[in-house]
Amino acid sequence: MADLIRVPGVAAQIRLVAGLRWRILRNGLRRKSNRLDLIGMILAGIFAAFLIFGVSTGFFAGTRYVLTKDHASWIAFLFWAIFLCWQVFPVLVAGFGAAFEFRTLLRFPLSLRAFYLIGLAYGFAELSAVAGTCWIVAMLLSAALVRPSVLPLMTAIAGLFLLLNVTLERLLASWIERLFARRRTREVFLGLFVLAMICVQFIGPLLNRYGEALRRFASHLLIYLAPFPPSLAGRAISDFLQEDWAGVLGSFAGLLGFAAALSFLLWLRFSAQYRGEELSETSAPVPQRPRARQESSGAFVLDRLSPQAGAIVRKELCYLLRNGFALLSLLFPPVLVLLFSSPFAGSRREPFRHGLSPAMLFPAMMAYIVFILITPAYNCFAFESRGIQTYFTAPLRFRHVFLAKNLVLALVLIFDLSLCIAVFAFSAGLPSLPQFIATLVAIVFAVAGQFAIANWSSLCFPRKLVFGQMRNQRQSGMAVLIAFGVQIVFAGVGAVILFAGRWTQDAWLPAEVFAMLSVAAVLGYFASLDSLSELAERKKEALIETLCR
Amino acid sequence: MPDFAISTEHLTRRFGGLTAVDDIHLQVAAGQFFGFLGPNGAGKSTTIKMLTGLLAPSSGRIELLGLDFASHAVEVKRQIGVVPEGMGLFERLTGAEYLHFVGQMYGLDRATTQQRSAELLEFMQLAGRPKTLIADYSHGMQKKLALAAAVIHGPRILFLDEPFEGVDALAAGALKALLGRMTARGVTIFLTSHVLEIVERLCSHVAIIDKGRLVAQGSLEELRAGVAVGEAGSATLEQIFLSTVGQDGERQPQFEELTWLT
Repeated sequence: MADLIRVPGVAAQIRLVAGLRWRILRNGLRRKSNRLDLIGMILAGIFAAFLIFGVSTGFFAGTRYVLTKDHASWIAFLFWAIFLCWQVFPVLVAGFGAAFEFRTLLRFPLSLRAFYLIGLAYGFAELSAVAGTCWIVAMLLSAALVRPSVLPLMTAIAGLFLLLNVTLERLLASWIERLFARRRTREVFLGLFVLAMICVQFIGPLLNRYGEALRRFASHLLIYLAPFPPSLAGRAISDFLQEDWAGVLGSFAGLLGFAAALSFLLWLRFSAQYRGEELSETSAPVPQRPRARQESSGAFVLDRLSPQAGAIVRKELCYLLRNGFALLSLLFPPVLVLLFSSPFAGSRREPFRHGLSPAMLFPAMMAYIVFILITPAYNCFAFESRGIQTYFTAPLRFRHVFLAKNLVLALVLIFDLSLCIAVFAFSAGLPSLPQFIATLVAIVFAVAGQFAIANWSSLCFPRKLVFGQMRNQRQSGMAVLIAFGVQIVFAGVGAVILFAGRWTQDAWLPAEVFAMLSVAAVLGYFASLDSLSELAERKKEALIETLCR
Repeated sequence: MPDFAISTEHLTRRFGGLTAVDDIHLQVAAGQFFGFLGPNGAGKSTTIKMLTGLLAPSSGRIELLGLDFASHAVEVKRQIGVVPEGMGLFERLTGAEYLHFVGQMYGLDRATTQQRSAELLEFMQLAGRPKTLIADYSHGMQKKLALAAAVIHGPRILFLDEPFEGVDALAAGALKALLGRMTARGVTIFLTSHVLEIVERLCSHVAIIDKGRLVAQGSLEELRAGVAVGEAGSATLEQIFLSTVGQDGERQPQFEELTWLT
């Protein structure tokens, strides 16, 4: 039997893997959601193609400019742009998207050389690699038109630069895979990612304030970037134009050295994977002394709930405390309030200077915060996974589940909104008492009203999400749509009532109207719980199937 | 005291055009250790899901402990324990937290929950890792925890879907002993497993389902009596099973097609 087996060549193995990926994609289209995803991918692909083409023209023009205006040394900036995009973009999206698990190929008779080449070949299939290659081609085309004499050297350098980039990107991806093999690392990374996204909001204000100093710092930094591949690639070309052959050789050798070193490191990484590197999550048991655990006696609020609802509240709090992303998202609203309200602070506090008075900013800001915080309620079973079955096997009515989940979110809202109000009061000052009260009552109206709809949405359009994982983590499209629609309606109603108060010059009118609506919303919420319990019974199969998948 | 702990009438479940469970009449007396067998895709999991409230029947009636499931769902659920397919654990809790949660879901007071959790964790040899999340448990540990959660409230009927899969021999032995003691105290155990030796050793009564229909039901002795074994001696459960569901020509292995392997 075994004598009939011939190990296929590297090209055949690459072809086999390509075929496998194609079949995975094709079979995935049997599901409606995946078909919709494909449409999304095609649209995103068209958008990306336009973007890459647009930027390519920029590289074309940039190369033309530096080669015709005798600023050849500036070409290094173009190489740096490609290099950074190629290396940073995949790191940022490391957790997103459906990554193909190359390691699963190791159970087949695959040579290390084939494994290495397949890894490298798929590195060129990354969006950043496609974009980088297009931009380099644009630079080559531009050079061919403007300075044909530089083309042979530039082609050689571009080829080496491509190889170097793809090797480094694979190497980084491999290290990231090793890091992300552990759940805790994934969660920490997710937290850092969210934090980084928050910090990005501050770039504008920081540049405005410290722009000059940052520019000086950047110019000092540039000197230290000279020995790196993009600078070497740029210097080789500028040295060629200045006929400094030693410089050309030195830079080219430097690039070759980088390529060789990175290839060696990547070979080592892939060899480790090929040998069957252990990235298992489960650690060896560490003997721990069981600690006598006392239930908090301060849980008197939970004691007033039914035991089932109390248990679910405790479980939800545990989940919240163990979800780094959720915890960080609690920091997000106060930061946003600080960011948006600071222009209204101190001496610059003038009504309508920014098209919005501080008095109107407060309700607008609170509406936005509610919008951010309440969105998870529209898919409130997302993290239950297989645990959802417990709710259907346990002796409870589903209204307790909703009550408990909504209570926890309400507590989160109270905590976060209190922080936001404090931050707002500190940075821009509070609005008038009638407006303040009106806003608070409007929040009760919006939250109670939305809870009922969000509970319905959670039953009808559930989508499973996994803790600490970014890959394939998207909310149900329908739930997001409903959330948007409902919040637009609530915001519209709120705005009309607030403007009615201004128009009638009756400062307390919005508060009175919102108070009536709040009472109606709260009553409606409690009335909805029983029908939602019945709906849960009817929807349980779809719910269990979706969350246990 | 009802005659049967579990009783179904015309129990049927359809998924579109497919009838996964077809007109099943199942009767399990109180205190029985009942094995529910069938080949892959026969309808075992669908039946157990209907019996535990995870799936609504298309038609038919389920009665547990003399109570109609449809009209007394909460009351019935209070008296049953379940290890469902996939175990149904909340993976972001620790083992102890999960048992506290389940205990309170079944209405136990906090002190009782705490005491029983500690005892069960000790019994299942899970007490040594109090801070480990269930997500980081091995498959066998998760299975043991799911079993602990299923019995924490002292159920009168226990539904177990492949309870010993992935559980080490030591723990499995202890579990079997525990289940044996429970049946001696009158608890009814409804078990599905593909390991026929386990079913044969533990169960006094067995039902076999095939293509959604109940093809055999009774005590092991009754089923043995219906199977002709050439030599003297009683048929094993495997022989009973094969003679009941394995007579289909399509299921006979065609070795002549695998000459290159055999």
